[in-house]
Amino acid sequence: MSRQRQGTILFTAILVFVATGVVVQLWLLTVSMEAVFRHDAHTAIPAAASSTVLFAINAGLLRYVFRFDRSMK
Amino acid sequence: MQEKSGCEKCKNCDEEKATPQWKNDFPISWDGDHYVSRREMVKFLTLGSSLLAAANWLVAWVWHRGRKETFPSSLIGSVAALKKEKSILFRYPTDKDPCIAVCTPSGELVAYSQVCTHLSCAVIYKEEELFCPCHNGVFELRVGRPTAGPPTRPLPRITLEQRGDRLFATGVEVTA
Repeated sequence: MSRQRQGTILFTAILVFVATGVVVQLWLLTVSMEAVFRHDAHTAIPAAASSTVLFAINAGLLRYVFRFDRSMK
Repeated sequence: MQEKSGCEKCKNCDEEKATPQWKNDFPISWDGDHYVSRREMVKFLTLGSSLLAAANWLVAWVWHRGRKETFPSSLIGSVAALKKEKSILFRYPTDKDPCIAVCTPSGELVAYSQVCTHLSCAVIYKEEELFCPCHNGVFELRVGRPTAGPPTRPLPRITLEQRGDRLFATGVEVTA
């Protein structure tokens, strides 16, 4: 399999992973907002921490995409 | 020869007419302009991800800030009057927050927000429970838990402090 073909498959997988992460973050935001409006927001900080971890993973994957592109050039 | 070259020139002219000049200057099609590559999509999603993480922290910060809210101590009446009347109405912590203090059958003094957690009607003391007449919601007196009707959340509890015969409201406790 050519490196370009590998890249295509890899980036599709990364895109799906990042999109899933964003959907999970959206869910975390709605859950924590609902909890805050219910005045029971003990989940707010764990939700924010989880959201940050997901963002870090997404940023890491984006960095990997850039590095892969640079190595191809 | 001249005719031939003239014809070739004409052909070129036709081709030039077929493709307008602006297309040569800006050779990007409408579809191509709206095409989003996987890389761009990943970039966009990561930006969205950072905004969502920031929004989540903002929500946590708002909650944390609200939790530290301090309440004033406010005189609501005398203990004797409450024991005689069985329930008294007052406003706490601001003039826009109606509350109800009740002397339970066991002699305990409790106070709750008068705003029903269903659709914000005013609850009243009736037959040893707090009753919302709008949709027949019922809250029990001990902790303000809903026991009947549409409300699902308990009434916010007003903490009371007895100083001699005087009764003070000192805070608001909201439980899930």
